[in-house]
Amino acid sequence: MLLAVLIANSEGNILVERFNGVPAEERLHWRSFLVKLGADNLKGVKNEELLVASHKSVYIVYTVLGDVSIFVVGKDEYDELALAEAIFVITSALKDVCGKPPTERLFLDKYGKICLCLDEIVWKGLLENTDKERIKRLVRLKPPTEF
Amino acid sequence: MAQPFVKKDDDRDDEVEYSPFMGIEKGAVLQEARLFNDPQLDARRCSQVIMKLLYLLNQGETFTKTEATEVFFAVTKLFQSRDTGLRRMVYLMIKEISPSADEVIIVTSSLMKDMNSRTDMYRANAIRVLCQITDGTLLTQIERYLKQAIVDKNPVVSSAALVSGIHLLQSNPEIVKRWSNEVQEAVQSRAALVQFHALALLHQIRQNDRLAVSKLVTSLTKGSVRSPLAQCLLIRYTSQVIRESGVNTQTGDRPFFDYIEGCLRHKAEMVVFEAARAITGLSNVTARELTPAIAVLQLFLSSSKPVLRFSAVRTLNKVAMTHPMAVMNCNIDMESLISDQNRSIATLAITTLLKTGNESSVDRLMKQITNFMSDIADEFKIVVVEAIRSLCLKFPLKYRSLMNFLSNILREEGGFEYKKAIVDAIVILIRDIPDAKESGLLHLCEFIEDCEFTYLSTQILHFLGNEGPKTSDPSKYIRYIYNRVILENATVRACAVSTLAKFGEMVDSLKPRIFVLLRRCLFDNDDEVRDRATLYFNTLGGDGPFIETDETVKDFLFGSLGIPLANLETGLKNYIQDPSEEPFDLNSVPKEVKAQPLAEKKAPGRKPPTGLGTLPAGPTSAADAYERLLSSIPEFASFGKLFKSSVPVELTEETEYAVNVVKHIFDQLVVFQYNCTNTIPEQLLENVTVTVDASEAEEFSQVASKPLKFLPYDTPGQTFVAFEIPQGAPAVGKFSNILRFTVKEVDPSTGEAEDDGVEDEYQLEDFEVVAADYMLKVGVSNFRNAWESMGPNYERIDEYGLGPRESLAEAVNAVTELLGMQPCEGTEVVPSNSRSHTCLLSGVYIGNVKVLVRLSLGIDGAKEVAMKLAVRSEDENVSDAIHETVASG
Repeated sequence: MLLAVLIANSEGNILVERFNGVPAEERLHWRSFLVKLGADNLKGVKNEELLVASHKSVYIVYTVLGDVSIFVVGKDEYDELALAEAIFVITSALKDVCGKPPTERLFLDKYGKICLCLDEIVWKGLLENTDKERIKRLVRLKPPTEF
Repeated sequence: MAQPFVKKDDDRDDEVEYSPFMGIEKGAVLQEARLFNDPQLDARRCSQVIMKLLYLLNQGETFTKTEATEVFFAVTKLFQSRDTGLRRMVYLMIKEISPSADEVIIVTSSLMKDMNSRTDMYRANAIRVLCQITDGTLLTQIERYLKQAIVDKNPVVSSAALVSGIHLLQSNPEIVKRWSNEVQEAVQSRAALVQFHALALLHQIRQNDRLAVSKLVTSLTKGSVRSPLAQCLLIRYTSQVIRESGVNTQTGDRPFFDYIEGCLRHKAEMVVFEAARAITGLSNVTARELTPAIAVLQLFLSSSKPVLRFSAVRTLNKVAMTHPMAVMNCNIDMESLISDQNRSIATLAITTLLKTGNESSVDRLMKQITNFMSDIADEFKIVVVEAIRSLCLKFPLKYRSLMNFLSNILREEGGFEYKKAIVDAIVILIRDIPDAKESGLLHLCEFIEDCEFTYLSTQILHFLGNEGPKTSDPSKYIRYIYNRVILENATVRACAVSTLAKFGEMVDSLKPRIFVLLRRCLFDNDDEVRDRATLYFNTLGGDGPFIETDETVKDFLFGSLGIPLANLETGLKNYIQDPSEEPFDLNSVPKEVKAQPLAEKKAPGRKPPTGLGTLPAGPTSAADAYERLLSSIPEFASFGKLFKSSVPVELTEETEYAVNVVKHIFDQLVVFQYNCTNTIPEQLLENVTVTVDASEAEEFSQVASKPLKFLPYDTPGQTFVAFEIPQGAPAVGKFSNILRFTVKEVDPSTGEAEDDGVEDEYQLEDFEVVAADYMLKVGVSNFRNAWESMGPNYERIDEYGLGPRESLAEAVNAVTELLGMQPCEGTEVVPSNSRSHTCLLSGVYIGNVKVLVRLSLGIDGAKEVAMKLAVRSEDENVSDAIHETVASG
């Protein structure tokens, strides 16, 4: 299960958080844990360089893109490798929507599109689409080109 | 945080000042949402309002029931618009707001219309939304469309239906299971993602049908699976089939192994990893099978991507727990990871090295770790401390440097959990390595001189009280203990008083001085400390020779409680919950230790739990628990010292009653401990016994048994049967077992059992007592020294033909298992293709007789294996018995 996708700005404020199968009372804990993890480790990290952490049987892969930091959390079959795949799809979709590694402002300007992209990529904790070209078409309700 | 990587735009300053959501407020946005009701819809504005609503939801904002309903109804109006962008947003919004069951009806017709729309993308999205908000009855109505959608030409529609199926399987399994023909067809799809989703769903539908899973794997491993993701799933399912089918006993081959090995050369990294992990996770994996997997993992250790390095070192860490020798080749690469920027990787590398390192590399490693410890967080330090504890138990001769390391880090800064881990490690080392006792106790004494944690101070004081008096010079600890009385808080002072009293009780020469110290505590300003001091002072006879203290009182004060604390705690809690006039009766607390293997049983056939940092419980603790349990049962208390307890042997499959047996070996007795669990909530079992038929174990004669009075649902209990065995040659034999009991119906609502019960019985599987049960696996660190010092007096040498074997490794395994001895110095690993091999084994035979064995094996072209077996022991009968075991095995 892909437990969470979380996107925060450089001050650690949440821009997007989507949890799957995480009880409501644990979400706050996860949020602060991830934000702290980012604050501790993401300084000076290059765009899209992946960092990884694990806590018991839960894995976290995270990175920075422009002004935003992106975290994905998973367990079981969503281990660090599957999460790396998921975060790769998310970053490429983000770059596609924003046209470049986004500033916070740009990210918020494209907020609706970004939500749609995330909806295509992860649905209720399962990875659904992995190709950015396809996602780009799907959010506009266009069928995929290979079809 | 990533400012330098963003281009400086001219309008950058504006960006900082203005956010499209600045000052956003829920009430205002809800007000705006009324615009959805306009007869003339402005699609762009509507999209923007939805975006704001999404932003609020994603920020953790919640809507009240009325607000949510209002928004939901308004959003449904937007189905009138033909704008595709807006429609996409509407789908997302409905999913986010997840309407309640009675509201769903409003959108079902719109969504069902979309589900049959000519526009493919409407179909795909409508399916996803419907499946999220639907319930069982609606699902039967739309089932027909969903089945069609699974085999839709458009891969997006097909995937949408398949992923919906995966979710719906949780809530409506019987409906989704009816789709398996369509899903089967989708597995053959040319679209990579459809295949991935279909495979996942098909496996979930059939996961309880072993044969079907096996067929699925057989057909797919032959064909071509397109997406790497699907390939990973297939590898997982394949290794599950391998686990369940076992090794082909004739050829020694595993089915499908070639397929998994082939995946090691796949172009996608994730497939390579999955294959390597599958191989390392195989049960009884051989060195030959491991080699290619370890080789690819080794390459990834030097990858530039942290995720791959992490994954590789994590997998190797797991392998090192069971096959440390196989990972040794990677040690150099792992040493360079100690300085990795990513602390998770560095910690994994360290702990792996601690498992794979040999005795000579310990000092060098410790040096590297010392530098590393200062810049990692406590949680990582705890993992390292636990690894060091295991290392020390493995190389007891190195206790000095490891103990020094532990005492050094004990003095540094750190939180409670970390300090507790270190103290626990030192305590375990003191218990298991007699040489380490005195230095370990002194380190602990130094620590409590400056310890900020009351819990740890009291734990150490208690431990000191038990161990200190048994050392060569108990007086040197008194100063540290008495300092606590002067300097610490009341809890620690009270504990120190008890510890002092224990010294006084056990060491006569110290008694007068302890009296002086205890007398000073009589006027402490805390009640508890004063009371304890008075009690001990009088009990020990501090007021003169007149006081005769009853032995039972002393036993109570200074002896062990004889009851597992967990049981006492439960008993007291129950007493408080249901108070009565009667005083609490200590004798009513059960003395049985709860069965240990329950946790393992809960996940049959699954991978063993592999949480980071969890180490398997040491054998000592299990043996201790068994010994305490047996000695607490009056019937067995006189049996003497427990020599060995086997691992639990399962006697049932997944059925109503789960039973396993632990074989306890004493000098002239064996005790079978049957751990029983009742898995039926509606039943209570009483007078549970096991009737053992020992007709195929002639030398055994039953001497005692202990029934289990009650076996309620899901609370494990034990019943025992004891047999006498003749001294001398170890008796072996086969036992068949029948579980007998009285079963009573339980009303699940009240939990009360009926008065009348029915007698019933239940056939259990057979088990054997074998020669290996009489041998303890005890290694020696230097085999040659041990062999030489044992001398050739009772050496027995003979040669055997082992017949045709698959490989030398298999022959070595078979003999090692037959004897139940510990392979030394990694000699159990046979290099592939070697024609001859020597394996060194060590153990302690019943009667505490040390045994060493040298196996020299050779294999010829026809795979015939010949073996020379040299045994040295402290007793010629034992040397002979070993040969007899091999000759008859």
